[in-house]
Amino acid sequence: MQHNGHSPYTPIPMHVLRAYYESTDRSLKTLELSFDRAADCQAFFETFNPGQFCLLSVAGKGESALGIANAAWEGDFVRFTIQKMGSVTTALHALKAGDAIGIRGPLGNGFPLEDWKGKNLVIIGGGCAFSTLYALTKHVHHQDYRDDYGKLTLLYGTRTSGLCMYKHDIAAWHEDEDMEIHQAIDVPEDNWLHHVGYVPDVVRQVAPSPANTVAVVCGPPIMTKFTLPALVELGFSPENIFTSLEKRMKCGIGKCGRCNLGPKYICKDGPVFSLAELNALPADL
Amino acid sequence: MPDIDTIKTEAKRLLQEGVVEVVVAFKAGDTPLHPQPAFFSSPDEIDQLVFSGLCQNNLATFLTRLPKEKKVAMVVRGCENRSVNALIIEKQKSRDNLYLIGVPCEGIIDWRKIVEHVGETVLAVEENTHLVTVETPNGRFALERAILLHDSCSRCAHPNPMSADIRIGEARPEGDPSLARTTVEEFEALSSQERYAWFQKEAERCIRCYACREACPMCFCEECFVDHIEPRWTESGATPAGMQGWHIVRAFHQTGRCTSCGACERACPMDIKMTYLTEKLNHDMKKKYNFEAGLDVQTQPPFATVTLDDKNRFVVS
Amino acid sequence: MNLILEKQALPELLQSWRESFDVFLPQKLERFSHFMPLQDDTAVLVNEPHNTRIPPKALFLPMTETLVKFTRVGGYKDAENEVQPRVVFAIRPCDAQAVQLLDTSFLEEDYSDPLWREKREKTVTVGLGCHEPCLTGFCTTVGGGPFNKAGLDVLLTDIGGSYLVEVLTDKGTWLFTTLQPADDSAIETAHKIQQEAFDRMEVAFKTEHLKEKLEQNFDSAYWDSVSQSCLGCGVCTFLCPTCFCFDIVDETQRRERVRNWDSCMFRTYSLEASGHNPRPSRVERTRQRLSHKFVYWIDQVNQIGCTGCGRCVRYCPVGLDIRAMLRQAQTLPFEVSHAA
Repeated sequence: MQHNGHSPYTPIPMHVLRAYYESTDRSLKTLELSFDRAADCQAFFETFNPGQFCLLSVAGKGESALGIANAAWEGDFVRFTIQKMGSVTTALHALKAGDAIGIRGPLGNGFPLEDWKGKNLVIIGGGCAFSTLYALTKHVHHQDYRDDYGKLTLLYGTRTSGLCMYKHDIAAWHEDEDMEIHQAIDVPEDNWLHHVGYVPDVVRQVAPSPANTVAVVCGPPIMTKFTLPALVELGFSPENIFTSLEKRMKCGIGKCGRCNLGPKYICKDGPVFSLAELNALPADL
Repeated sequence: MPDIDTIKTEAKRLLQEGVVEVVVAFKAGDTPLHPQPAFFSSPDEIDQLVFSGLCQNNLATFLTRLPKEKKVAMVVRGCENRSVNALIIEKQKSRDNLYLIGVPCEGIIDWRKIVEHVGETVLAVEENTHLVTVETPNGRFALERAILLHDSCSRCAHPNPMSADIRIGEARPEGDPSLARTTVEEFEALSSQERYAWFQKEAERCIRCYACREACPMCFCEECFVDHIEPRWTESGATPAGMQGWHIVRAFHQTGRCTSCGACERACPMDIKMTYLTEKLNHDMKKKYNFEAGLDVQTQPPFATVTLDDKNRFVVS
Repeated sequence: MNLILEKQALPELLQSWRESFDVFLPQKLERFSHFMPLQDDTAVLVNEPHNTRIPPKALFLPMTETLVKFTRVGGYKDAENEVQPRVVFAIRPCDAQAVQLLDTSFLEEDYSDPLWREKREKTVTVGLGCHEPCLTGFCTTVGGGPFNKAGLDVLLTDIGGSYLVEVLTDKGTWLFTTLQPADDSAIETAHKIQQEAFDRMEVAFKTEHLKEKLEQNFDSAYWDSVSQSCLGCGVCTFLCPTCFCFDIVDETQRRERVRNWDSCMFRTYSLEASGHNPRPSRVERTRQRLSHKFVYWIDQVNQIGCTGCGRCVRYCPVGLDIRAMLRQAQTLPFEVSHAA
């Protein structure tokens, strides 16, 4: 994270460019933020990597760790999709275009894209954890980077169709021949054309091949817990299965101690870990 | 001094006969000054049971940490029995699931007073009703028990467990209630500036470790007010406002519930005096409502009760 | 460099430092000692038998510290970070080694903590070794010792009527320019005292394979056993010189974002907004605390994250003794790791 001579605890000043609901039940809201200072914008994108997160700051309420949901090529802004859950996320939901906000980031390791070059990617997302996978997909799917990777398979499950995020892009990807996309909802709905079922089961149905393939899973803990073994069953090795973890965070820079998983800090050594790395860490989630 | 063997025999019997599933008492610590609370679930573990004036915790604090339905036996002194009663009234435990092994109390020894007299390095401690003998590298010291008692014990009015299932040891004479009253009246006699200065001086040592809260049997809230976020009730850190807010509000939350055991002060690593707050509030409860916490399991605490003829109309209408 | 300092010259020397430094030293507070600034009339007591109640980590990581200030227009600015140069006098080797351990976290390159760094750079540590080591301390068990030099700029050894002053770094040199070099007999006496103190300390628990035993028994009933009477307060962590966890909180009325000491032993430490708590009871939290000190610190910097100061042993309200817990851990089964 670049902080341009400022303290790493001081948020970068931003403003809300756009704010809109992603889900029909208004539990998920997307904020797109612009930088007040050009130098901050430049520094941000110099180190930004899909899979990283930021700590969004509302003065007086606190900070909340949120995955970055855009690819660098999309423009000089940063996108986050926020689930309304506690005091900070409620305050974030109340923001509208023009409001001031702060971020600290980009933080964390992000996806190891260099290692994934030349491989097929199976991207598996559940619920609102899909946001960093969306950033990843937007990045690898872009014509400048597409040739670095092999086949792209996307699997995205939500409880209901209304909770699906980024509906516009998802709809476009259904029509895109270059992307194999599988969408799922938990229970049947009228006019639903895609899978019905929990993500681990849909993964088994789709049965992506593990040959020269990396799988990355981001979802609620219960989904991840059952999806990782499903991939192992399908023949994926633990070194080629990745996930992004979450824990209560405060400093985001590996100082305050609380987000540790054994000797690793989720904010600094993660949030992206391979299953091989996870198997060596205590089950402290 | 109570006969340890009698306590052990009773504890063993309770486990052997399946009257209880666990006996909560004390065992020897790894250092001479610090016996530890212990949870014995089989008769042969009872050999480890100890009981002495150095057993400084109010064991009733563990009642709310065990499953409610669990059949528990507990060694209780006067204040512990009263805390147990207070918890029963607040429906934190049923008397049916409790077996109280009552031990009349000769007062808890404040281990830090021993250290003040003989230094930090203590090799062994022996005590009886009148004398505490301390072995140190610099020799053996015999100290009067009376000067080593924790302050709350020096002014204790009810050293006898009043609702135990069995009492082990001779009942002790009731204490003089004027001792606690005098302490309160001395404080009340200070000017408001002097009282605030005293309060400030004590509170500013606080490090917000919450040892007082955890040692207190009546602090069993799953979410303490200091952990509440929306709204935040007091500053969270070791700032003057935060520390004062913590001490004052905790004392008020104890009104009509505190049994003057002093476990809070004994737990505090910074030697903070805090019983002066609760003693004052207890004193007020006695004066205004003729109520003392924990004397029985019938009398409802005035601040936890609503009746249809309540003087405060807003409560009922 | 070895110098000699007569004990009766000490008070004047300390006062002379006040021209350029704030001087912190242990002073009487209630029934214990506490690092406080030297004033004109402070009685200099260095005969306290052991370390202060609160460790001197508080001088580098205050119990509460402002990180960020909020401006009226919803913006942010760095908190002030003005630090007066200071000497921390009579810091014990266990506490100095702990500060050095904490450096590995706070001064770590990627996100060096500016508040910690400023205080560290402006501090000279003058240590006082323990010629009569305390019964509850176990520094030698965890790789330290009563005259260990880690984290110190200067080390004092009490040799009777005077101190041997061993100047270890440049920072310490110009505090003692008025002193005479120590003669060989003083140096020899000091070394003898240091060695005797070290030898006198007993091994509190074996450390061989302790890490493997703790990390390979994650689900063992051992953790229930050692945490049974734990109250879940923060005494052990707050009094611990190597504990550094902090909470970040917005104090709206003061318009500040502050950090406060926090404890992994508190329920809310890892409580998530969804209500899920990875460490729901004292069992998991005790496991985290012991594992952090005796497993994860070793993974991270190849050192045990405990310097054996003994405070947790002395002040735990229920008398829990970490040394006994680790002796018990030594009875756990384990497999020697074959990985390189």
